[in-house]
Amino acid sequence: MVAVLLLYPFGSFMASGRKGRQPNWLDRLVLAISSPLQRGLTVAVDGVAGAWREYVALRGVRDENSTLKAENQQLRGEVNRLEEARAENERLRRMLGYTQSTATSELPARVVGVNPAAAPLSLRIDRGETNGVRPGMPVVTPDGVVGYVHRVSGGYSDVVLITDPNSKLAVKAQRSRARATASGGGGNQLLHLENALRTEDLEEGDLIITSGTDGIYPSGLVVGRVTAIQRKSYGMFQAAEIIPAVDIARLEEVLVLVAPSAVAGGVR
Amino acid sequence: MKLLITVLLSLVLLSIESVVVKYLGLTVSRIDVTVAIVAFLGLRVSLVEGALSSFCVGYLVDLMSGQPTGLYTFLSVFTFLICRLAGTLVDIRSGLSFALFAAAADLGHAVLSVFFLWLTSSQAAVASLLSGLLLQLILTAAAALCLFPLLKRIHAPRVPVEVGLLR
Repeated sequence: MVAVLLLYPFGSFMASGRKGRQPNWLDRLVLAISSPLQRGLTVAVDGVAGAWREYVALRGVRDENSTLKAENQQLRGEVNRLEEARAENERLRRMLGYTQSTATSELPARVVGVNPAAAPLSLRIDRGETNGVRPGMPVVTPDGVVGYVHRVSGGYSDVVLITDPNSKLAVKAQRSRARATASGGGGNQLLHLENALRTEDLEEGDLIITSGTDGIYPSGLVVGRVTAIQRKSYGMFQAAEIIPAVDIARLEEVLVLVAPSAVAGGVR
Repeated sequence: MKLLITVLLSLVLLSIESVVVKYLGLTVSRIDVTVAIVAFLGLRVSLVEGALSSFCVGYLVDLMSGQPTGLYTFLSVFTFLICRLAGTLVDIRSGLSFALFAAAADLGHAVLSVFFLWLTSSQAAVASLLSGLLLQLILTAAAALCLFPLLKRIHAPRVPVEVGLLR
């Protein structure tokens, strides 16, 4: 019996490799018990931390208020200018016959926990197949890309982070449009920029965005900024690191980019 | 019954850990609470019961990892067997010695998991996985120290109550 307990999972691992399997009824049952527990703990810790933050924040609230008022005035002016630009953009699009594509909608989700094992680098969110979330959907924040949904179960999903060593994104530099691949660097919180031709124009601080050619992430999402470029005197490619735009280590809320068809058919 | 309590305890501890790790921002370092539990099982529990408990505990880790491959289930049972073997060579009585024992078990567990991840994925960043190892061992030892009294209580040998004529 001990031999079976030892060899069955080993055989399963060797057969499936790192891909894993889809959740069966037992997995779903255990997840149905553990995920609300994680969510409850997160809410409790959030509550305590939030109360403490509010108490501390009250002390400097007057100064902050006046600063924010000034900032608000400035932003209103900016919004007006952008509104003008948007209207102009729309007119030009109409003239060129383009159609506005709204392929996805954003579903807000809360991070309820991270993977307690060292690999893969993933986290759990409180939106699942009952909310229309499906494997492969991109997960973002207003700052940039977080990762993609790897597995869904009931009202919860597991999201593999872009910093996971097995994660890859098709990207391009916003300034020069140089194409490359960004792969996860593991625990050091950086991404590796790969497959960028040596002749491509890349500079320190360049903003890297998704190119939309990997079949997961739509085009134009912010990934991070280029740093530590290595351009050798030989070889086809240059390498660099990307500092992610999103602070992966301290995520609290994320947005799942849900395809409209999934929402229509998925929400019960 | 002990098996069920052990599994439930693991589930609760893993859930707490996943939230704690989220707040502390430990993206690589983990607190291997389950390895501490498995190490204890290796010292105090019978072969079949311990192997079965370790299997269940490993299954939970696999499930919580978001990518169940069977690796952590296998490693859990394997670690249990190694701990059981090592338990015949050392005498663990105090919480401190158990913490050191659990840290040693975690070292073996971590190295093996990195090895198998490297084996199945050419992209596995071995250096980054091992970079947080020292902190992980320290955290696991600290967790083992805290868990020792509770585990001892759960797995205390049942003393039969003898009902004699004078009672």
